[in-house]
Amino acid sequence: MSRVDRIQDEKLRALVQDAFGIMRRNQPTEAMHGLVVALYRLLEVRPELATEQLEPRPGWKMPFLTRWPQYGANWKAGSLAAGKPEIEFVRDKFALSEVITCYEFLLDTAIKRQA
Amino acid sequence: MKFGLFYELQLPKPAGEAQWGPEDEKRIYHDMLDQVELADSLGFDYVFEVEHHFLEEYSHSSAPEMVMAALSQRTKNIRLGHGIVLTPPGYNHPARVAERISALDILSGGRVEFGSGESASEMELGGFGVERGLKKAMWEECTREVSNMMVQTPYQGFQGEFFDMPPRNVIPKPLQDPHPPLWVAASRRETTMLAARFGMGSLGFGFETPDELAERTNEYYRIVREECFPIGHAINPGLAVLTTFMMGKTDEEALTRSANGPAFFSHSLGYYYNPVSGGKHQPGEKNIYDDFLAQNERDNTMSARTGFIGEDEIRKGEPKDEVQRALYRAARSGTAVGTVERVRETLKTYEDNHLDVMIFVAQCGDRRHEDIMESIELFGRELLPEFKERHEAEHAKWRREQLAGVDFPVNSSI
Repeated sequence: MSRVDRIQDEKLRALVQDAFGIMRRNQPTEAMHGLVVALYRLLEVRPELATEQLEPRPGWKMPFLTRWPQYGANWKAGSLAAGKPEIEFVRDKFALSEVITCYEFLLDTAIKRQA
Repeated sequence: MKFGLFYELQLPKPAGEAQWGPEDEKRIYHDMLDQVELADSLGFDYVFEVEHHFLEEYSHSSAPEMVMAALSQRTKNIRLGHGIVLTPPGYNHPARVAERISALDILSGGRVEFGSGESASEMELGGFGVERGLKKAMWEECTREVSNMMVQTPYQGFQGEFFDMPPRNVIPKPLQDPHPPLWVAASRRETTMLAARFGMGSLGFGFETPDELAERTNEYYRIVREECFPIGHAINPGLAVLTTFMMGKTDEEALTRSANGPAFFSHSLGYYYNPVSGGKHQPGEKNIYDDFLAQNERDNTMSARTGFIGEDEIRKGEPKDEVQRALYRAARSGTAVGTVERVRETLKTYEDNHLDVMIFVAQCGDRRHEDIMESIELFGRELLPEFKERHEAEHAKWRREQLAGVDFPVNSSI
């Protein structure tokens, strides 16, 4: 069974599936845009992710969402600190490996957070 | 499960000194040659060596192709792994990578493992002018083209986003057909799954636990079966994981021999890869080992090596971030540190979860060459034969089942 089937929210699952289909058709740039739409949906389903903090070392905190791989679909400066995450595209072309990495992060987060 | 050795060629500065001694670099290079020669004679399967630049004390392995060439003439069977070659073109032109991999494959009688990656340290990226935000795209483009260069006669040329090259016959061609097994450095789960999608082995530099490994193994092989689109001309299905290694006749002896090795490994890695401090290193001046010792004084980090601590205790204090957790575990867990019995028991948990390759970090920090040699000898004589036997009898069968129905060409040494 594909891991995508373990996403509980129907709309999020469909968005992730769509992005994956585009990725398989070797259209990485379009797939990245699809993944960002799915990422926003994930934040609707699990809004606590927007403000969740990691503490990599004692006394050093960082937003969980900084783990989203920033290959050009990046968090807008200050948006994470403000608790209102917003993606801005600073590149207009993406590679397959970049999309796959973002896809895996999104999929894994959605499943682990039971979204 | 197969076994390998892993080399960063670490060289802490002497405590309180501004520079190394005049023979220190020569010593670690020649010690490594001796260690790998011994490992080869005992039946170890792999040696993997990194490519890093400017990371003083953490890694003095900037020209692994030279070391591998020397090893190709001093060893007979051990596989010579690049763990990894930096393939963004700012580090190495793709044609030069293909030429060196192929030449080494010829010299070694077809024993090369071609690992690739991009590095994330500001010292390296900045030193070579590689843009951080583009490094993965560069890695993909160049690794794919290096594979093409090793196969196409002549190479048909390429106009890409990051490098252009007219048609040329890139020679020599490798001995292995179609090219050596492909690996990618994977410090995060996402990259392990990327490896599966591209049909590459995953060199797991994240010090995964057996629990994490079980889930990753299942998902990795599912993707290879169902969702793979190879980057090269043959796939290399395989999961490798790093762990720290030191053996002794008693646990206490192994711990004493292990010394500051894993903790310094973790400390210096964290120093260079920290996005804030990593780029502020003062080249040629700083003594990282002094900092490390001072931090130990403050935090009592080394207390972990005064005795074995259990999984539960390790987990209590570990960070949530995957990379930071890996560093934490590398410094504290002694997966392959101890007596024959202890090491057998802990490695068996990885074997039970179908790990393909366990790679030992033996040379690190201030460990002594004599202790590393004795540990290699002890493992090779007391444990390696039984794991080899089970690999052939059980794991090979399991792998065949996992890969049933996969119709891509496979070139894998596992």
